[in-house]
Amino acid sequence: MNNSSGGILRALSFRNISAVYIFIIIFVVFSLWIPEKFLQIGVWRSLLDAEALTGLAAIAALIPLVAGSLNLAVGAQVGFSAILSAWFLSKAGLPIAIQLPVVVLMGALIGFVTALVITRLKVEPIIATLGMSSILLAGMAAVSNSQQILGLGPDYRMIATTQFGGITVPVYVLLIVAVITWYVLERTPIGRRLYAVGYNPEAAHLAGVGVERLRIATLTAGGAIAALAGALLTSRINAGDPTVGPSFLLPALTAVFLGSTQFKGGRFNVWGTVVAMYVLAVGIKGLQLAGSPSWVNNLFYGIALLLAVALSQWERTARRGSAIGRLLRRRQPVGPGQG
Amino acid sequence: MAVSTPLLRVTGLVKRFPSLVALDHLDLDVHGGEVVAVVGHNGSGKSTLVKILAGAYTADDGSVALAESTDLHFIHQNLALIGELSAVENLGLANGRGAAAAAPFRSTEERARTRELIERFGAGFDIDRPVRELTPAQRAVIAISRALEGWTHPANVIVLDEPTESLHRNEVEVLFAAVRQLAAEGAGVIFVSHRLDEVLDLADRVVVLRDGSKVADEPVTEIDQARLVELITGDAGAVVGDAQSAGRRNEDAGPVLRVRGLRGATVDGLDLELYPGEVVGLAGVLGSGREAVPSLLYGAAPSEAREYTVAGQSYARRSPKASLARGIAFVPGDRGRLGAILEMSARENLTLPQLRTLTGPFGNILMKEERDETDGAMAAYQVRPPLAEQKFTLFSGGNQQKVVIARALRDDPSLLLLDEPTQGVDIGAKATIYETIDAAAARGTAVLVSSSDDKELMRLCDRVIVMRDGRMAAELSGANLTERRLVSEGYGFA
Repeated sequence: MNNSSGGILRALSFRNISAVYIFIIIFVVFSLWIPEKFLQIGVWRSLLDAEALTGLAAIAALIPLVAGSLNLAVGAQVGFSAILSAWFLSKAGLPIAIQLPVVVLMGALIGFVTALVITRLKVEPIIATLGMSSILLAGMAAVSNSQQILGLGPDYRMIATTQFGGITVPVYVLLIVAVITWYVLERTPIGRRLYAVGYNPEAAHLAGVGVERLRIATLTAGGAIAALAGALLTSRINAGDPTVGPSFLLPALTAVFLGSTQFKGGRFNVWGTVVAMYVLAVGIKGLQLAGSPSWVNNLFYGIALLLAVALSQWERTARRGSAIGRLLRRRQPVGPGQG
Repeated sequence: MAVSTPLLRVTGLVKRFPSLVALDHLDLDVHGGEVVAVVGHNGSGKSTLVKILAGAYTADDGSVALAESTDLHFIHQNLALIGELSAVENLGLANGRGAAAAAPFRSTEERARTRELIERFGAGFDIDRPVRELTPAQRAVIAISRALEGWTHPANVIVLDEPTESLHRNEVEVLFAAVRQLAAEGAGVIFVSHRLDEVLDLADRVVVLRDGSKVADEPVTEIDQARLVELITGDAGAVVGDAQSAGRRNEDAGPVLRVRGLRGATVDGLDLELYPGEVVGLAGVLGSGREAVPSLLYGAAPSEAREYTVAGQSYARRSPKASLARGIAFVPGDRGRLGAILEMSARENLTLPQLRTLTGPFGNILMKEERDETDGAMAAYQVRPPLAEQKFTLFSGGNQQKVVIARALRDDPSLLLLDEPTQGVDIGAKATIYETIDAAAARGTAVLVSSSDDKELMRLCDRVIVMRDGRMAAELSGANLTERRLVSEGYGFA
């Protein structure tokens, strides 16, 4: 079991890195089908750039989910922050250096309030974030009048479009946020406790883990990251667009769930999420370039989400099944005669 | 009445499990009009018998035969009622299968039927109230009424499996009146209980099981409490706690834990003092408060106390985190749900409560130190296989429990609280766990063990506190610490 060749084989198994194999399949299919459109460096560069924000939204959903809170408001959080950002710049006339931190703080506050609803009012996360999502959508419509907010000034656009080595700033932001998240989740006691809370809050509580505080912290951090994505979104399209943000929800959640089947054997994790997100984006891009209608996006993400969750469930039950089988082989359950 | 052919005849029933024979050629007859009590200790085979009758287990040998057109009905401990529904609705649940299930129910008729069923037992209460608002005894009457729904004649057999578990003493009478009436109408009743006074009160005949065999089958008039305890425990009167557990208690530094008037859950005023190096047991039947004490002391459930001091320091705002900081460790009884994170590895479970000692300068977990430490713990506590990276679920029950106990002992606690430390643990692992607990006490840890296994308490403990109705009923040590005393004090006929 412990020899290294077995370890390498397992690391390269379809089960462990299925997204990589799916990527290869997608790549080969579209390279043969539409090589003149698909194999363009510009396509790939813009993909990397455009999807960096999806990646941030996915990490914003990932962090609370590790501690057991499914966040359905993540799209609305991105959208609300995008509108807020545009409004601060064009209507309130705040300088960028103040606007950006204020938007991120507001995002954190929204996450914090959601967390209080979950922990103090004991509302299930899925309901609390659904309600919060609706409130934020209303807020977006109210602030923007359901129209694009333009006139952000010439400078703000530079944040998201400046390139270093041919790669835009949002990609670097994603990389930095991902590395920090990875470090905290995988290398610190906080991360260890977060997973424990997500798996079994009662047992974690008995092990001395501050369950509520950690839950609040994850939703707050997720809110701040979603707000960062929103601010970058506004910079990228140089306008506050009330229709774009909510569409981040599905790709983000799909990436998180598909990502949980990668690398870490069923655990939600950052690199699985980022890789899954880009693989899915490449698939969508290929379909778009091949001329498929735009509703295929929703179809693709919907199917991918269902498959991803089914895959992770299957993996879990398959493992449980083998565990039970092993127990039964070792010895029959003790104690039926008791009581 | 008893001369007729029995309604239920059990012949030569055998049920084997790999580690024990749960039922060994059991014969049992139940006639119409009689109440037969089945009593016995944990592991005596009485619940195996009920499970075979209910069809949950298949017998390895022997037969269960019912008289013609006789049905078998069960009332289980939890009654299986839906708390939010009324009596009428609960009784109606069984009605209208198939296409009839979609037809509108006829409420007037159902209500009349419900009232009739319930009034048979002389019980009058609001049949439209959600049953969770009723008293436990009223709920028991509804459960019996539901079991009677559809009886075309009274000569059926009804099995009551620990039905008085959740009832107060005065409510038991309501239930018993209902049962007596059933029997008077010609039904056969099997009454499984560990409350011996109730058995003597209700039953016509008592069947005592021990180690899977029937050791007595006598009319209740031929038997008294003392004889019953003797039959249940066998000739275990002379067994005392083993020698090595004597005299470990160290009183020099005062008690580790001193509690006055502990209240919460089923505990209603318990005083407790624990000294370094001693192992103290908590015994008592389920519901006596025995099972709630460790989690209350640990702060896992809310509790009140007039005085609660740890090593002389008052400890008021109790929580698991604060308890760990004061050197109190807890091993919960429900290992899968509370004791560990099943999805994590043994290593991650072992270090979860205390990661500070393994944290590096950048807030990072020192992976190598952690691995070294947990590898050492896996070996020291004889976990099989000694693979710290293996997922917790993949270990057997006994080895899971070794990991949970290793975790509790990792920081050398001054007080170790154990709830059912060997539940679902095989014999080999049991011995290892006992040695581990002995060793912890020898190092000066005060240990409190709550257990339903009297042999375990006698093996481990210097003294045992027997609880009844949330309070201490007796404290046994030395020559008084016998299985017979544990049983009789627990049942309350000392």
